[in-house]
Amino acid sequence: MSKGSILIIDDEDIVRISCKRTLMPEGFEVKTAQNGVEGLKMIEEEKFDIVLTDLKMPDIDGIEVLRLIKQRWAETVVIIITGYQTVNSAVKAIKLGAYDYIEKPFTPDGIVSVVYRALEDRKK
Amino acid sequence: MNIKVKKTLHSLTGKLILSIGALMVAGSAIFWYFLINYQEKELIRNSTKYGHSFIDFMKKSTRYGMLTFQQPLIQQTVEAIGSAEGVISVRIFNPEGKIAYSSKKEEVGTVTKRIIPHTETGDQKNALKWSIDKDKEGYRRLNIVGTIYNEPACYTAYCHIHSKGQKALGHIESVISLSLLDKAITQQEIAITAYVIGFICLLSVILCIILWNFVSVPLSKLTHGMERVAAGELDYTVNIDTKDEIGELAKSFNAMTVDLSKAKEKIIEWGSTLEKKVQEKTEAIRKAQAQLVHSEKLASLGRMAAGVAHEINSPLTGIVTFAHLLQKKFDAGTQEREDIDVIIDQANRCSNIIKGLLGFARASAADKTAVNINDILNSLLNIVRNKADFFNVKIVPDYEEQLHYVKADTSQLQQVFLNMIMNAADAMDGKGTITINTKNITENGRDFIEIEFRDTGSGITDKNLEKIFEPFFTTKPVGKGTGLGLAVSHGIIQEHGGNIFVNTKPGKGTSFFIKLPANKEVL
Repeated sequence: MSKGSILIIDDEDIVRISCKRTLMPEGFEVKTAQNGVEGLKMIEEEKFDIVLTDLKMPDIDGIEVLRLIKQRWAETVVIIITGYQTVNSAVKAIKLGAYDYIEKPFTPDGIVSVVYRALEDRKK
Repeated sequence: MNIKVKKTLHSLTGKLILSIGALMVAGSAIFWYFLINYQEKELIRNSTKYGHSFIDFMKKSTRYGMLTFQQPLIQQTVEAIGSAEGVISVRIFNPEGKIAYSSKKEEVGTVTKRIIPHTETGDQKNALKWSIDKDKEGYRRLNIVGTIYNEPACYTAYCHIHSKGQKALGHIESVISLSLLDKAITQQEIAITAYVIGFICLLSVILCIILWNFVSVPLSKLTHGMERVAAGELDYTVNIDTKDEIGELAKSFNAMTVDLSKAKEKIIEWGSTLEKKVQEKTEAIRKAQAQLVHSEKLASLGRMAAGVAHEINSPLTGIVTFAHLLQKKFDAGTQEREDIDVIIDQANRCSNIIKGLLGFARASAADKTAVNINDILNSLLNIVRNKADFFNVKIVPDYEEQLHYVKADTSQLQQVFLNMIMNAADAMDGKGTITINTKNITENGRDFIEIEFRDTGSGITDKNLEKIFEPFFTTKPVGKGTGLGLAVSHGIIQEHGGNIFVNTKPGKGTSFFIKLPANKEVL
């Protein structure tokens, strides 16, 4: 039994791989998508506990992905990954229902702790 | 002063003297002519008058002889009178034209043509006739004839020579020399001519002197002055101090040259100030352009740095993640563990640099509110004072109490101010005084606040001064400074509509000035 299912949406290979290699050993079920469209398609097919999405992506950006997810699957936790953290986009993301945001470059401990925290809060 | 005065007849003096002289000669000649003419007439009138008296005198002298018919006595009287000086001849004719008596005895009894033919009309009241002719020497002679009229004493005389019916009994003819008078007249003519000539000469000389001194010399001075002024010597003045028209002219001329030189000075002044103003404006434009280029350069560098930072974040995430994953596989103390630690440290260093670079991007997303700079500085100083780096640094706040508010992002300004203070402390090697001064200023009618960070450090060299705001420029040891502090500060202040500039003297310290537009609406 896995601790939870996580979808990682990021156009950067290395970010997806890093997240996967960090979170899988912790006992999470991790799937990845290269872009927003692919990610949303996967969410349609199966349910994820947590979605980690990049903010800046080529087709539809992280804010849009967040909005769409929150519209249909409100219980899914969305955590924003950003390489370009700004006050505006962070505030906007939190307002739209994002649980938190993590800044690139992040450490394995950083991302793991945010994920655990999110799951804890979700249980409450 | 070498002034050439025109001396020819074409000069004004020459013309005036010539015309006045000619007029005077003509006038004198006319005067002379009429005077001589009048004198001549007067002379002749007097002469004939005397001639008449003479004839009368002759009549009276010979009357007794006539009445008593003593012919020798008459002849004797006539001779006596005829011998008088000036009397050339005296003749008494009988009615038949025969010379009865004459001052020249040999003529008596001869018939001679009378000089003036007498009229036989004895009733003519004034039968006296006269004429003037010239003798051999050219002197004039007055020939005068008087008629002896019949009267009762004549025809009642006992000699009974004349009858009562006779009207004219004879004629007395006398020739009187006018040579003395002629001589006197000639002398007078010579005297008058000499006088006139002398007068004209004297007058000419006086006129010449007057005109020379009052007209020619001043005019030559004026002409000379005009030539000098025309040649460009505008401060030249004509030295004529008379109260006449020429003096007035000279005064006007001097006033004109003064005006001219003033006008010229003004033109020169305008020229030079124009040049100066053009230079100033050119310099201002050049500075503004340089500033613009500088800002543009910094902005594009910032954009590039932010872009690069963004791109590097992802690979850096991979490095950090996998380094951490590897780290967990090795026990502490092993060589591998140490190597991996180095990778992680350096990756973190990269991460810090990137965070600094992203300050450029953050500046554009500032959250601005009305803030009091003094408050921001105070809260910042509370943090800084407790840091070990500032143990030997004295921070002296010097605030303007009624400081204008500023519309700004507090955290960004804190970042800028912290940067200034850290730089100041570094410049002094952690030992010295930092003075922080705030004040309200007005520039071109707009209100600003100015914050000065003054240190007693080493100063900045001219060479470095050009580059201090460029990203990655640092004089600090490798690993200590990213070279982004001032670049980011510059970006933040510019984004706030302000300006940041430096005043430095190598060896004496540096002042950083931050100027921000005041927001008075809040007050």
